[in-house]
Amino acid sequence: MDAFLQGLALVFNFQTLLVIFGAAIFGVFVGAVPGLTATMAVALLVPITFYMDPTPAIAAIVTTSAMAIFAGDIPGTYLNIPGTPASAAYVGESHQLARQGRARETLGTNLVCSIFGGLFGTLVLVFVSPSLAEVALKFSSFEYFWLALLGLSCSIFISIGSKTKAFLSLLVGLLLSTVGLDMMSGAPRFTFGIPDLMAGINFIPVMIGMFALNELMMFYSSSNEGRNVPAVHKDKVFGSVPKHLKHYWRNLLRGSSTGTLIGALPGAGADIAAWISYAMGKSRSKNREAYGTGHIEGIVDASSANNSGISGAWVPALVFGIPGDSITAIVIGVLYMKGMNPGPTIFMDGGGLVYALFTVFFIANLIMLPIGYIAIRSAKVFILTPRKILMPIILCFCIVGAFAINNAITDVWIMLIIGLVAYILARNDFPMAPAILGLVLGGTLENNFMSSMLKSNGDLLSFFSRPISASLGAMVILIWFLPLFIRLYRRYRGAPQSSRTP
Amino acid sequence: MKDFLLGLAFIAAGAIVYVVAQGFPTMPSLQYGPSLFPSLIGGGFMIGGLILAISRVGALKGIGHGMTWRMEREQLRNTLLSLLPALAIVFYILTSEWLGALLSLALIMFVLMLARRTSPLLALGVSLVAALVIDLLFSRYLLIPLPEGLLGVWG
Repeated sequence: MDAFLQGLALVFNFQTLLVIFGAAIFGVFVGAVPGLTATMAVALLVPITFYMDPTPAIAAIVTTSAMAIFAGDIPGTYLNIPGTPASAAYVGESHQLARQGRARETLGTNLVCSIFGGLFGTLVLVFVSPSLAEVALKFSSFEYFWLALLGLSCSIFISIGSKTKAFLSLLVGLLLSTVGLDMMSGAPRFTFGIPDLMAGINFIPVMIGMFALNELMMFYSSSNEGRNVPAVHKDKVFGSVPKHLKHYWRNLLRGSSTGTLIGALPGAGADIAAWISYAMGKSRSKNREAYGTGHIEGIVDASSANNSGISGAWVPALVFGIPGDSITAIVIGVLYMKGMNPGPTIFMDGGGLVYALFTVFFIANLIMLPIGYIAIRSAKVFILTPRKILMPIILCFCIVGAFAINNAITDVWIMLIIGLVAYILARNDFPMAPAILGLVLGGTLENNFMSSMLKSNGDLLSFFSRPISASLGAMVILIWFLPLFIRLYRRYRGAPQSSRTP
Repeated sequence: MKDFLLGLAFIAAGAIVYVVAQGFPTMPSLQYGPSLFPSLIGGGFMIGGLILAISRVGALKGIGHGMTWRMEREQLRNTLLSLLPALAIVFYILTSEWLGALLSLALIMFVLMLARRTSPLLALGVSLVAALVIDLLFSRYLLIPLPEGLLGVWG
């Protein structure tokens, strides 16, 4: 009880509440301007949170990401341009509704679904993670090795598009994680004699390069500014929300639970959660034909899913230190830099911190209601913000932000090089999430492998000698062969009826 | 076509990583030395790059003859424009020491805004205000030692 009150005190003070409020506004803005993603918002925020206490720092990240994911639907609805990738699954649907003059009604429903999804994910986080943490306390380096490998494998398996490209993207991240002094032998690796690289490549310039500079370059390579808001909408924001919720409460629950689950899978974040639950909602719907013509049902599924995914991603991040998506990957980097190691011990000796975190999640989702409402009413402001003025300012934030972490110009170089590589890769449809996961988990993977090998005198079979470790290993191997099984199954299903055996 | 070249690039990068990794010291007490993971990554680059390159060979044959290396004018312009932010960063790295962060940032923003046809007056105003805000936020509030440059000399 003491810890709980301590946690509340960490949140309910003027500074933290002010940070939450500011972060909410920042999140709405970044989410609602097309081309600025939620991950970019978090990456830009990190240099500033770096100088805060842990609780307000985490509060800022949680609030910003939740708000940005909702706000991404605002330009999606009005302009058919998703504000963040997580809205891409259903922009077509919501834009159709806007063209029927129902933009505010759509966004209102969307807002309520987002809040519900976020709270649902938070409840799962609150109730599941402490008991998972007790299991995780029994883990040793063998289990953590498999967990890291499981996370990395998931990030490839679940990625959309070419698996080869996802694999290569992951390797780029892993390679970056090997830079610096080797943990075991102390030998410098890939440091090229640069002293700043001895301690390894810092996360933050990489994140800024990968998610912000990359997007900036994308913006300058396309010449369309593309913005005209066609109609003025006078429909009520929350007027028909109760009706929709009564009608589609099943979709709401299904979207939230699917979203939480997918968010909790390493490597899959809000965008994949939205795609999958939109597709699931469609395949289960009674009015499948209505999808794509402006049908609110699909929005209920997907908009609750992407916000619950944001909360769900924190479960593995807090319990095992394995990020569920690229935002929590950044958070884990921040936690490490603040000297707090994410993992089961956070639940045991963290004092009020865990309760503070849970409270922050509730507040972040609840504050969405008023701020989201205002954002919907003033949607035009965000949509008309000229990106040609905004983008140069963001670039300057990137430069100063990268510099600020170590006060080193080397970090600005790192941001530049990573940004260029990320730009080339992203233009050719390489997913970025595996790379960031590789960078965050690379060290965990290698260190746990090495210490396991020290314990067992180099016996590789020892990875299968403990029950939990063996089953995690089996899961990893299963995931590797899953695409093969699916292909065989499809071929089997596609075979003529006569050859089928019962 | 691009995938084929990228595949080749990954193969080359993998080979370099692998060769460099072989030079890392090994320790007799450890079965697996610091070169293990980088070698695996280098190998993975080569395999992945090969798959990527091979999967595009079929597409290459078809266009091999009629291919022109001439880029469309607009495409070239867009590629050059996309490099603007990168050039701006290089500019900052090179000039911030003597121009100072404030002036470098303001210059970068001004030029980038003009590149997208913002009216000069607006661009000037916004970039000056934004540079001041960024400089104040980071150097006064977060206490980051941003280079002061010329302005520092004046006091």
